[in-house]
Amino acid sequence: MEPVHHELAGEPTFAPMIQIEMEIKTFVSAWRHCDYVSTYMARMISQNRSDSVRHSNLFSSAFNELLEVAFRSRHGDGELACRVSRHGATDRIELTFPCVPEERQFYEEAMSQATGTEARERYLNSVSGDLAPSREIVLLELAVDYNAILRVEEADGNAIRLVVDLPLEGLRH
Amino acid sequence: MSPYDLLPRFKAQYDANNQEFSISGVVRPQAIDELGPSIALLRGAIDRVRGVLYVNVRRLTQMNNAAFHAFSRIIIDACRARPDLKFVVITSSVVGWTSRKFGRLSGIEPNITIEEYDSEFYPGQGFLEEGGFVPILRSQTKMTWRHERAILPRHGMRQGIVMADICCGIGDFAVLVQKEFQPARIVALDHSKSSLDYARQVMREFDIRGIEYTYGDASEMLLDEAQFDLVTCRHSLQIFNRPELILKELYRVCKPGGRVYITNEKNSHCLGEPRAESIRWTYNEVAKLFGHFEMDVELGPKSRRYLMEAGFEDIRVETFMVTNLDGDPQDFADIIAAWADVYAGEMATRRGDGPEFVARFRQGFQDHIFAALHPKGYAGWPIWVASGRRPQ
Ligand SMILES: C[S@@+](CC[C@H](N)C(=O)[O-])C[C@H]1O[C@@H](n2cnc3c(N)ncnc32)[C@H](O)[C@@H]1O
Repeated sequence: MEPVHHELAGEPTFAPMIQIEMEIKTFVSAWRHCDYVSTYMARMISQNRSDSVRHSNLFSSAFNELLEVAFRSRHGDGELACRVSRHGATDRIELTFPCVPEERQFYEEAMSQATGTEARERYLNSVSGDLAPSREIVLLELAVDYNAILRVEEADGNAIRLVVDLPLEGLRH
Repeated sequence: MSPYDLLPRFKAQYDANNQEFSISGVVRPQAIDELGPSIALLRGAIDRVRGVLYVNVRRLTQMNNAAFHAFSRIIIDACRARPDLKFVVITSSVVGWTSRKFGRLSGIEPNITIEEYDSEFYPGQGFLEEGGFVPILRSQTKMTWRHERAILPRHGMRQGIVMADICCGIGDFAVLVQKEFQPARIVALDHSKSSLDYARQVMREFDIRGIEYTYGDASEMLLDEAQFDLVTCRHSLQIFNRPELILKELYRVCKPGGRVYITNEKNSHCLGEPRAESIRWTYNEVAKLFGHFEMDVELGPKSRRYLMEAGFEDIRVETFMVTNLDGDPQDFADIIAAWADVYAGEMATRRGDGPEFVARFRQGFQDHIFAALHPKGYAGWPIWVASGRRPQ
């Protein structure tokens, strides 16, 4: 087994790359905003990756799923904020949006399961299952197909923050 | 409605002759109903085929989980209902997530297999993507650059433009352009990973900025439409058995009003004095040899027609001749020696040529080198440059 390295000084520093904000009402007014935002941000942050075009395609693919999940949440008023920062080969997406308490609980559970060892098997079962993929499965897929690491953070007000670390630069297909 | 809504974002087709269902573009529906016609098409295809249904997703750039699940379900259900049916999903190694995601399906149903299609694009691929060509390309670019640096401004090259070099090889041309013309951005695409690795290493070592190397397939690029002022594609249309498909892509990524610039050869027109006859014979044979592998190294003078047929306007064509008088004659001789190595070596062997033919074939190259290095000799390699403007 590989030894596990812990950063001595705690969290590595992620350098901010880009951030956009909009009213959540505006965001959910049209489904294609997910596609717009993911495509635009992917293009902006990929320019200095070793293969910008492919990185952008992969990043957009993962980020769009996350935005679709946020789109389908039940939320109150407030802002949606997307922030991308970088540490080496890993890009971190932080998606902050207002949400009702039950939703918060849902995300906490979903995120913890996405990190579990059975994640892969559950994902496979869902592909062969009858139901359209739930939001939980979509998050699971990020872990399974993109090696993403997911967690939930508290945010100010009635907001929640999904933090997704995507090691796309190192992902080999 | 914004123009965005009017653009078809994806396309599904069924080709009954090849039993192939293909879906391409960006498939990110909110609700599955939006996929209705495509799903009906896939179901219809499944009902009609026998044996194997090919599901071609190599031009699929994006597909969300909702859509993926909808299509997967139909395929998985069909496997269960009809054990006689096999599915072959054709993905592209260029679109990173497709092989992974569709690959899962073969773990669920053994009758589903996944093939990455781009291991074989065109018949001559083996020769060109392997290491053997690198030294050839290197000396070629050094020789052609002397001419092209003066020619390029007549075909839309200027400072500050956004450009792409498609089939960039080891990237020498992009680097030279970057230094000489300082475009704002260069995207350089090739399908040889080893060439790109090499190009990236050069970029790091010489601290060159502004070039983005990307792995891709020139006939199906991930690049967005209408984004480049100038798209160059050098010595490459001639290696594809269907150059018009590549041109279509070059057109697509070029901005309206921007230009596409191509260079190609007509190998049978390589010449030299003395020993003209032997040289001419050999280069005629070069053209036939490439023809055997479905590559048209006689394409140069056909550039005008190809550009017109692809829809370009304001077409400009010119030629230049790389000769032994351009700097050091030894450079010219080195190119010929490298050609002789590959053409009279691996390629002739693969075609099954006998020793007698190969000896005579080689002699022509030797005579060309002789002409190049002869104090009173002259040796030439003609190149056709052509460019066209994408209409506004
Ligand atoms: C004859 S070389 C020309 C290279 C370069 N433009 C030059 O002039 O030195 C052809 C190049 O096309 C690349 N190539 C072949 N098939 C390709 C494809 N489908 N997509 C992108 N590049 C391809 C090869 O890897 C090779 O680098």
